[in-house]
Amino acid sequence: MIQVQNIRKEFELSKKQQKENNTNDKVALAVEDVSFTCQPGRIFSLLGPNGAGKTTTLRMLAGILKPTQGNIVINHFDIQKETNKAKRDIGFLTGSTGLYERLTANEIIAYFAKLYGVKDEDFKQRKEHLYTLLGMHDFQDKRIGRLSTGMKQKVSIARTMIHDPDVVIFDEPTSGLDVITAENIIKLISDCKTQGKTVIFSSHIMSEVDLLCDDLAIIHKGKIIHSSTMQEFRDQMKTDNLTAEFIHIINENN
Amino acid sequence: MILDIFKKELKDTLRDRRTIIAMIVVPVLVFPLLLGLSTTVTKYFADKQKEEVLKIAVVSNTPDNLFTERLSAIPDSLGPKEIFYRQDTLGLRQEINEDSLQLAFIIPPTFDSEQQQNQQSTVAILHKGVNLGNKGRITTYLSIIENTLLEDRFERLSLDKKLIKPIHEQFIDMSSKKEIIGKVAGGFLPYLFVIFGFIGCMYPAIDLFTGEKERKTLETLLTTPVPRWKILIGKMMVISLSGIAAAAFALLGMFAGLRLFSLVDLPGLSNVIDGILTPQFILGLLALLIPLTIFFAGIMIPATIYAKSFKEAQSVLTPVNFIVLLPAFVGMLPNIELDYTTALIPIVNIVLATKEIVAGTIDPVLLIISYAIMLIAAAISVIFSYKRFGKESNILS
Repeated sequence: MIQVQNIRKEFELSKKQQKENNTNDKVALAVEDVSFTCQPGRIFSLLGPNGAGKTTTLRMLAGILKPTQGNIVINHFDIQKETNKAKRDIGFLTGSTGLYERLTANEIIAYFAKLYGVKDEDFKQRKEHLYTLLGMHDFQDKRIGRLSTGMKQKVSIARTMIHDPDVVIFDEPTSGLDVITAENIIKLISDCKTQGKTVIFSSHIMSEVDLLCDDLAIIHKGKIIHSSTMQEFRDQMKTDNLTAEFIHIINENN
Repeated sequence: MILDIFKKELKDTLRDRRTIIAMIVVPVLVFPLLLGLSTTVTKYFADKQKEEVLKIAVVSNTPDNLFTERLSAIPDSLGPKEIFYRQDTLGLRQEINEDSLQLAFIIPPTFDSEQQQNQQSTVAILHKGVNLGNKGRITTYLSIIENTLLEDRFERLSLDKKLIKPIHEQFIDMSSKKEIIGKVAGGFLPYLFVIFGFIGCMYPAIDLFTGEKERKTLETLLTTPVPRWKILIGKMMVISLSGIAAAAFALLGMFAGLRLFSLVDLPGLSNVIDGILTPQFILGLLALLIPLTIFFAGIMIPATIYAKSFKEAQSVLTPVNFIVLLPAFVGMLPNIELDYTTALIPIVNIVLATKEIVAGTIDPVLLIISYAIMLIAAAISVIFSYKRFGKESNILS
């Protein structure tokens, strides 16, 4: 489970950035008073236009950034106080996830399993399961630099799931990917829900949201401007489709 | 955990062609190549000069003069020559400019009589000063002629040569060959390992920080339950090791060039090298290299973590390279020795201590002070790196 309570994130601005942004403010506010809860076995979607604060929020959830204010609890662990315990329960995947080009798929998966403290016997079993599921046996010993985008994304998925996390964070996971590769991700997200994991993902693609989501929140200019279940969202729609409704809500709050 | 990160980063680094070139290939080859090339070129020109026939004109009122006689008597082993007689200086300047003549001696008509009367004669020498090789031969010829004329005078006057040389110096050098080489080459050795230690650290530092930022692997790494300091230390160990390896390979290349391929023809050099390359020296050098390369890694990491691209990191580190080379250069200057002041200056102390280790004249107290100062500098740089690595604006691209 993920519990987010009144988080706020400020970034310090350098003098150069102040000049570029034409401001005298020493900090830029990226996220303000954001709260939501993601339940196990449900998929929570965080929507918002570019620069709304989605990635910053997800990075705080993953423990990469520290909130300026507020609390984030991952499976009963406060991410700021018990960072490493919370991180053990998280899998984090983005559309632009980088992999070590000079290592093989096997080497990367083994490395991350060690970093997450996966026991040897669990590792073998887990690796075999993921390789079979994703069809990775054929290229497991090839260096990442020689793999196609689709193959690389499969390695990224295996890397994200090797420690069998309870909470999975997807930050625009299908961004820039071809249809077939994107389909693999959609299937993975769906499987995570079936397995009872807590899933949060951000996306621009409303068809994906429609297909996968149980709950959603819309973030705009760092603030949550809408939060509901997917069913409630559909019921309250004032336009014909999800994309139009999303734009309508954003425009209303501009 | 640190070991896992270290092993992975080392594997990744060793598969990077740029790092291998900077860490192994360049350090091993650069010295033998430079030394081989300079020795070959110098030898080639020296041989060519020796074989070259020097065309000399002697301008005098008569071809049978004392100067020509003495000049002709100089053996060809000191360089072959052809002597031409000229009555006047007409056309000489042009011939020398066109290189059909390399040298002309203008002898006064009174030369022979002046010499007989033990007087001084003025001899004008026409030559091209830009031709340094010829100048050496002119000096040799003149010195030989002057000596023979001087001997004639002593004989004529029935004098002993000792009259004009009241002191016969007998220098007895008490310094060992190792000490001499230590003082001369000892300054060059640390300069070499400071350069290669720095270059060896540079590429892995850029790759493991700026490169990871660019490739977006750093963000993934930071989501793992590994404390940031462990990630930093794991990476730093690889950077430092790479610097040590580059410096060690550079020294290996240099010693191999000198010892195995005999690139420098110096009597007794092999024995001196064998004397220097003792296990104590190698261990001592490694001990100095460890804090030095940690210090390098510590000053490089903040720059590479700040840079947003490989190119930016390179342009930030290039001026740092010059700053680091400056104290290394100081160590090569004569009369700067390891004392209680220089031992307190990082890098300078390492350079000077190495010089003393090579010469076998190191003061253990000064060595300990130098080592402690370098360790403190390394520790400060690690803390500084950690602070920069913890800064959110630095770690995300």
